Order: sequence, then structure tokens, then C-alpha cells
Amino acid sequence: MTRSVKVRSFLRNLFSTRRVEVDLDQEVHAHLELLIEENIREGMPPKEARRAARIELGGIEQVKELVREKRIGNWLYSIISDCRIGARQLRKNPGFTAVAVLTLALGIGANTAIFSVVNYVLLRKLPVRDPQQLVFLTNPDAQGMEQGFGDGDRDFLTYPEFQTLSQKNQVFSGLAAAASDGPKLSVGVENEGQSEGALARISLVSGSYFSVFGVDPILGREFTSDVDTVRDGSPVAVISYSFWQSRFAGDRAVLNRKIRIRGTLYDVIGVTPPQFNGETVGLSPDVWVPLSMQSEIYPGRDYLSLEATPFRKTEWLQVIGRRKPGVDLAQAKAGINVDFQRILQSQSGQMSTEDRRTFLNQHLAVIDGGRGASTLRGDFSKPLQILMAVVGLILLIACANVANILLARSAARQRELAVRVTMGAGAARLFRQVLTESVLLATIGGAFGLLLALWADAALLRLVSGGPNPIPLDVHPDSRILAFTLGVAVLTSILFGLAPALRAARVDLSSVLKGTSRSIASTGSQAGRVPVGKILVVTQVTLSLLLLVVAGLFVRSFQNLAAVQFGYDVDHLLILHVSPVSYGYKGAQIAQLFKEIIERLDTVPSVRSASLMDNGLFGGGDSNSDIFVEGAKPKAVETPASRWDMVGPNFFSTTGIPILYGREIGPQDSGNSQRVGLLNQTAAHYYFGDANPIGSRIRVKTTEGPSDFVVIGVVADSKHGSVREKPQRRFYIPFFNPIGDASAANVLVRTSGDLAAPVSAIRAAVKQAAPNLPPVEIQTMNQRVSQSLATDRMITKLSGVFGTLAMILVCIGLYGVMSYAVSGRTSEIGIRIALGAQRQSVLWLILRESLLLVLIGVAIGLPAIFGAGKWISSLLFGVKPADPTALALATALMFAAGILACYIPARRAMRVDPIVALRYE
Amino acid sequence: MNSEPTTLLQGTLDLLILKSLVAGEMHGLGISRRVQQITGGTFVVKPGSLFPSLHRMEEEGWISSFWGDSENNRRAKYYRLIKAGRKQLELETKRWGRISWAIAQALEAS
Repeated sequence: MTRSVKVRSFLRNLFSTRRVEVDLDQEVHAHLELLIEENIREGMPPKEARRAARIELGGIEQVKELVREKRIGNWLYSIISDCRIGARQLRKNPGFTAVAVLTLALGIGANTAIFSVVNYVLLRKLPVRDPQQLVFLTNPDAQGMEQGFGDGDRDFLTYPEFQTLSQKNQVFSGLAAAASDGPKLSVGVENEGQSEGALARISLVSGSYFSVFGVDPILGREFTSDVDTVRDGSPVAVISYSFWQSRFAGDRAVLNRKIRIRGTLYDVIGVTPPQFNGETVGLSPDVWVPLSMQSEIYPGRDYLSLEATPFRKTEWLQVIGRRKPGVDLAQAKAGINVDFQRILQSQSGQMSTEDRRTFLNQHLAVIDGGRGASTLRGDFSKPLQILMAVVGLILLIACANVANILLARSAARQRELAVRVTMGAGAARLFRQVLTESVLLATIGGAFGLLLALWADAALLRLVSGGPNPIPLDVHPDSRILAFTLGVAVLTSILFGLAPALRAARVDLSSVLKGTSRSIASTGSQAGRVPVGKILVVTQVTLSLLLLVVAGLFVRSFQNLAAVQFGYDVDHLLILHVSPVSYGYKGAQIAQLFKEIIERLDTVPSVRSASLMDNGLFGGGDSNSDIFVEGAKPKAVETPASRWDMVGPNFFSTTGIPILYGREIGPQDSGNSQRVGLLNQTAAHYYFGDANPIGSRIRVKTTEGPSDFVVIGVVADSKHGSVREKPQRRFYIPFFNPIGDASAANVLVRTSGDLAAPVSAIRAAVKQAAPNLPPVEIQTMNQRVSQSLATDRMITKLSGVFGTLAMILVCIGLYGVMSYAVSGRTSEIGIRIALGAQRQSVLWLILRESLLLVLIGVAIGLPAIFGAGKWISSLLFGVKPADPTALALATALMFAAGILACYIPARRAMRVDPIVALRYE
Repeated sequence: MNSEPTTLLQGTLDLLILKSLVAGEMHGLGISRRVQQITGGTFVVKPGSLFPSLHRMEEEGWISSFWGDSENNRRAKYYRLIKAGRKQLELETKRWGRISWAIAQALEAS
């Protein structure tokens, strides 16, 4: 019964505060009157009666405060009251509040921005049902397709393997397959009016895909196992929410409509919910179609049938399973590998013992799949960790600044706090009130920081992508990010608010009211007092130095990367990928097509030279095979593998790779003649030492069987895939006398000067030679190289920005401390000047103190710098972690900051009038 | 010997106030004087302790308040005991009895 009474009281106290207060006030006053009356009745004179009554009462305000403390719900009321008082304080000092909020917004915002990216790339679970039950049988960090034969953990599975495992396993309630890399194709909407549809990303998936993930469509239905039954027999599609919005304008009648891909019409049967973006983070499909439609999406190829030999497997599917309840990861792994081994066993019948051993040594690494697949993790994991550390340091520096200005202000607030004490606030209450102010500051700063982060993430995206295909990062704030920001805000408020709150709680009442306490709290010039301000600044210097050194290392590293020699001329080189096989060309038609393209290009005036290359430069693909070299040095047989390319005539003159001995591939090296080839320098040296390799026969082991070529030349080493590549063994054979599949190639075009003319000429040439092909995407070599350096560029830019930010914050912090110190020492300076000190010596006095603080900070920072350098060393290029230049530069910048910071305080010190100073004290 | 009840004897003060109100409605000063009287002058309840207790007990629902006129026609806030309060008084009295018996026992033991 009393509970409802208490609740009523609570609510009344909260909402009718004024009425309650008025009532209390009247009651206490009435009591006083009664006391006075009583005293008069007992014979006291009125004045005496009043005084005695007052004493017995003990102070009206005190009594009221005691009652308030005991009220139900008082805790809430005090918090609200503290907030109101705090907000009023902040309003009264707008300048200070603005500086503090800005500093905090920068610190918190930077952390939230980076954390958003970290959350999306590393932490976020797929927005599907029970993601913790999902596992990857394949490698979630891999993307693309592999053909051939090897051992170890599988990156991908083949379609027949997936089918067998789906039917026969006991540990998964369902298995789903998705093509690892979906193509971007032109998708037309029927009756949309456009003849050429915009590009959309297609994802080929199994019928079980949506049910295994547990994704329910917001419209229509999803695939079932029916779509897997007949090859090319299920032209249906599920579209993404964003595709539905952008191409169908959110029309709810979309389920009756069709889309066209490569000439085939697909029924739209469903729409996925907006938050589902496929199983690969960073790749957002627009359209899902069944795997059984593969030959419509990749024409001219068969990735679905069982291979003629197990050496020719096409591994291209990511496979995800949902564990049966009660089956843990280890059991799932054991169970499925038993089934997988059975498959391998059944296929290994005809192999040699050696091959058999390798073949059977393949496994499925079964790992947690809740976060989906992503190539971003491999590229960005370390950089993101480093960035989080960097912004964490920025936050600490920012907190130190705010703490310092709060401490400075607390000295000026002594009187106000003393008054509060007389009103009945205890030390705990004061502590709480000042801390609440800090929490308010941090919350406001955090709110602005969140806004800053949203804006910054958009800019961050542009930095990260750096190329024509931005990674679709979905960094809109979700609950985890909001919780993170809130947590950081609370943490920072405690960090910088604790010291001022403690100081407030220790207010010495009598000395403050009498005015004898030093109204300017010293920052360490009194013996025994902890120089908190100076300690904070020294810490800031250390942290900032760390950041500057890291930034310096990245800048130097990037400079090195940008200066790397490729072995060929990167400028004025255009490159484009042409895939005739995908558009119906077969066999000899393809070779003829390429010959024609080259011939047409050779006639264009602005084209100096054109050639072909199967894997392309910086294109993401490469070939690697074992080779047997006749007459090679014995030890070279240990690792017989080499990378290789198939190139057209005049390849080396087009790219500019120098020919060291012999001749390059020419038009005469086509299918009818003896196959020739060239080695690069590393390969030649490895197999032949200083001997001349020309004329030697080399045997290449491929899945088709062995093929030979004769060495006709040696070329210089060059970079084929990444800027950081180390020299590798490589050989080149003619594209027109190929080994294996030569159905697609990169066309390389060396131009003389301006790029506009050649680009249109190339388009025309390709169009004329192959009218069926869609418009080609032409890139410059510079673009490709630049894209490959996108991550490095991002880190360098960001660490530069943050390093500068840190330096500015430290400068402000040093300025604050120094101007404080000068104010506190005004009398001392006055005396010195009166005694004959020169202005310069005063300047030096101030400067020395500032530089001493910087020096201490630097000295403390040195060991940390070595540690930090080691940690980031895997990302550095050509720079040692303890690089003296970076270190010297950072230190010099810090000292410069120290000098800059005390410019104004020093000038003030120099202009001290001794008479005024002494009189003031 | 005027000792002021401290927060440790909070329950005791509640008890005394409730007991005082059995006699009838009273304003704050009246309650204070009554407690002094019934404890033979041992406890003098200062307003700093009285008011917090009164207000808290009202919030708990043991007593209720109203504004009325005092003897000299001055406005004052009066308190009266209500049903829940009487029950609380009974409980507290029993508890106090148990405590004092227990302590008496403890002190008599050798």
C-alpha cells in the first residue's frame, strides 16, 4: 500500500516542485514564528525571543536543505538541478565553452569517424537471422576465381563439390553458395525506355542462399531449391532495395516486371530488405540470379559441370553453412571435412602417387561467418588499427587541453563555490556539480563530434576509394556507434573533469571569503603543490611527438612508394580489357579479332605502339606454373615455379621494358612456328647464373599438360602487380602461340602526348573490329598505379592531418600554461626588471620554461617512439622505424610549437611595468 | 542532558513522533515539545531533524498534513496519524521491545 503513496510522492516532488518548495518555506517560517511566540510567552523580550528562536531553528535554508535531502526522488532532482546549474555556468562563459566544446568535438568526432569505418569493416555482423550460427567453408578474405590444382585450405569450391556437400552433410541445416566475384553488367528494365541499361552488380547464388541466411523479402518471395534444377531454366531474379528504389522508383508492382541481362529476360520475383547487402562486405549486389543461369551471365564458359579431369577444377564459389543447433565449430569442421575427403578420394583414382598426395591434402577451413566475407579486412585491418590508436591519442591530447582550461577557470570560481558551501552544499555535492558540468561539456562536444564524424566519413570514403569505383561503405550511425560515442564522451568527461571537481570539493571556505587565498592558483611555483597543468602539457607533448613521428614516417614511406621505378614507362600508357569469349567469339575468331584491333590501332597517328597481354599490368590477375629448365643449375630445381604472361608482338617496345639480350616477340612468332619466349633478369640469373640462356629449351607444366618454348631473349625486371613487389621470376611467351586459354586479353597502347585522341580512336577501333562487344573501359596506367596506392595514400594523408591537429592542440595547451605561469609570476618579473634585468633576459626566462616542458615531453616520448615505429613497420616502405629524419623533423616541430606558444605570454612578460606589478601584489 | 537523535536512531525518532501523534493532531513545534515531554526531557528534537523525518514519514504514507490555525490564530502545518501509521507504530513498538530486551539480556550476562 505504501508503495503507491511513495510513487505519488515521487511524482509530486518531481513535477510540482515549486508548490512543494513554497509549502516547505511557509512551514519553516511558520515554525519560526511559533518559536518566537513561545519565547515571548516565557517572558523574553521580542528581540531576544527572535534571536533565540533563530538559533534554535538553526537557519531556515539549512533546514530546508535537510528536508530536501531526505525527499524521495531527491537524487533525480539533484541531478537535474546540477545540470541546470552547469548549463547556466557554461552559458555565462561562452568563449570558454566554445573552445572546450570545439576541442572535444574534434577529439570525439575523430574517434567516432574512424570507429564507424572499423565497425563496418571489422566488427559488424551481417544483418541476417542468428549470424553467429553461420560459418564459411571457403576463405572469406579471398575474392575471384582459381583454376588448377594445389593443396591446403581451399579458397573456393566448385559447383559439383557444393552440390555433393549440400546433399550429404550432417552438420549443417543448410549450405548456400555465392559466386565470389559478381560482374557488373548492363541491366535493362523492360519498358524503361532506355536501350542501354545502366551497370548493375550481379550475384550468382544457389537456391538455398536466402533461406540459409534467413533473409525475408520485403516484397514477393525468394529463391527455393527449384531454381537449381534445370540449367538456364530459371530466369528469375531477386533485386536489392536500392536497385528497386533507383530503377523502379519503388513501384510496388515490380513483381510483374522483367529485367534484361545480356539479352535474356528475368522475372523479378522479390525485393530484399534495405539493410541486406549480400554476404561480402564492400560488394553490394543489385541483382541476385540463380547459379543455374551461369552460362547466360558468363557466356562461352562452363563453371557448373563436373570437370573432365580433377586438374581442371574451376573454384569460384564462396560457400556458407548454418550450423545445426548443438553443433559447434569444431564438430562442423570435422564433419564436413570427412564428406569433402570422400569427394576428393572419389576423384583421385587416376593420379600419380605424388599428385594424389597433394590432391588429398586439401581441406575446408571452417571459420566463423557472422561477419561475412570481405577483402577489405586484409587491406585495411592494420591501417585501421593504427588510425584508431592515432585518434585515441588525439582525444587524450584534447582532454588534457580541456582539463587545463577547466583548472584555470576553477581558480576564478572559488568565490562562487564558497557561496554554494554556505548555502548548504557539502563537498560531495560540489564535486558532483562540477563533474556534471564536465559531463555536460562532453555530451555537447560529443553531439557535435557525431555530426562532424558523419560529415568526415563521407570525406573519408572519397579518400579511401581514390578511384572510379568507390567502395560502397555503409557508415551511417547504428546503435553500436552511438553507444561508442556516448561511452567516449563519458570517459573523456571523467578524464578531464576529475581534477577540477576534486579541486572544487576542497574549497577552503574562510580564506576564500576573506579574499586571502591566492586568486590565481599557481601551476607549480609553490613547493609541494602538484603542478597538474605542467604535467598535462608534458603529456601532450609526448603524445603529439608520437603522432608527428608516425606521420613523418608515413610521409617518407609514401614518397618512396611514389618514386619507385617500374621497369617501364608508366606515363602515356593506356590499358583496357577485352573479353571476346563472353560475347560469342570462339577459337580462331578471337586471335583474328585481336590482330585486327592492333592493326587498326597502329594506323592511328597519336598511337606510338600497341600490343597485348593476357594478365595485364596491375590488373589483379597472374599466372604461375612449374617449369623445367633444360640445363639449369641443380639448385634451381628446388622451387621450379615461375610467373608468366602471354604477350603480343612488340610488347616490350610498347611498354618500354628494356631487352637485355636477344630479340623480342614479333609477328612471325605465331601458331605455326616453334614457340619462343623471353625470361626476365631474375629468372635468367636464377636458372642460368651468368651463362647465356638464349637457345635453351624450357618446359612449362600446366593443367593441359607440358608445353615447351625456346628462349630467345632476356629482359629487365618490371613491376606487374603492386608497387611493393619484389623482383620475381617471370617468362613471356607469344599470345598468338599460347599455352592454355587465350580468349581474353588486355590491350596496351603507348601514346605520344595527349590522351583524348587515342581514347576515342581505341573505342572506334574496337567497335569496328568487334561490333558485338559493349563499350570498353579504358584506364591509364597512372590511374591503375594510383588506385593500388589508395590505402597508403589514405594513411599518409590522415596521419598528416591528425599530426597537424595534435600540434595545434599542444600549441594551445602550451599557450594556456605559459600565459598562466606568466600571470602568476608577474611580481617576480617586476622585481627582476626593477633590479636591472634586461627585457631579453625576461624573454629568455619564459622561453626557457616552455622549451624545458617540450624537452621533457620529447625525452619521455623517445622510447615510445621506437615501440610505435616497430608496430607500424609492416606498412612502411624503404623507411626504418627509427628514421632519424622523421625524428629530427618532429622534434623540431615540437620546439617550434613551444616557441610559438609562448610568443604572446613572453611579450606580455617583457612589457611588465615593475611599479604596477609590485603594487598589484 | 540534552542529546539529539542522530541518523543512527532514525527509527527511534520516527517511533517517538508517531507516539506523540496518537494523542491527536499537532503542528511541528507541538510534536517537538511533546516528544520532549514524554521522554522526560531526554530528547530535544531540533527542527533540523524533525522536519526531514516528518516529511519523509508523510511521503511513506504514515502521517498526513494540513494547514490549520494555531492557538494564537497563526497559520501552521498540522500532522495527523493515519491508519498505515498506526500499524507502523505497532510494528516499531514491538521491534523496540525486542531490541531493548535483547540488549538488557546481553548486559545482564556475565
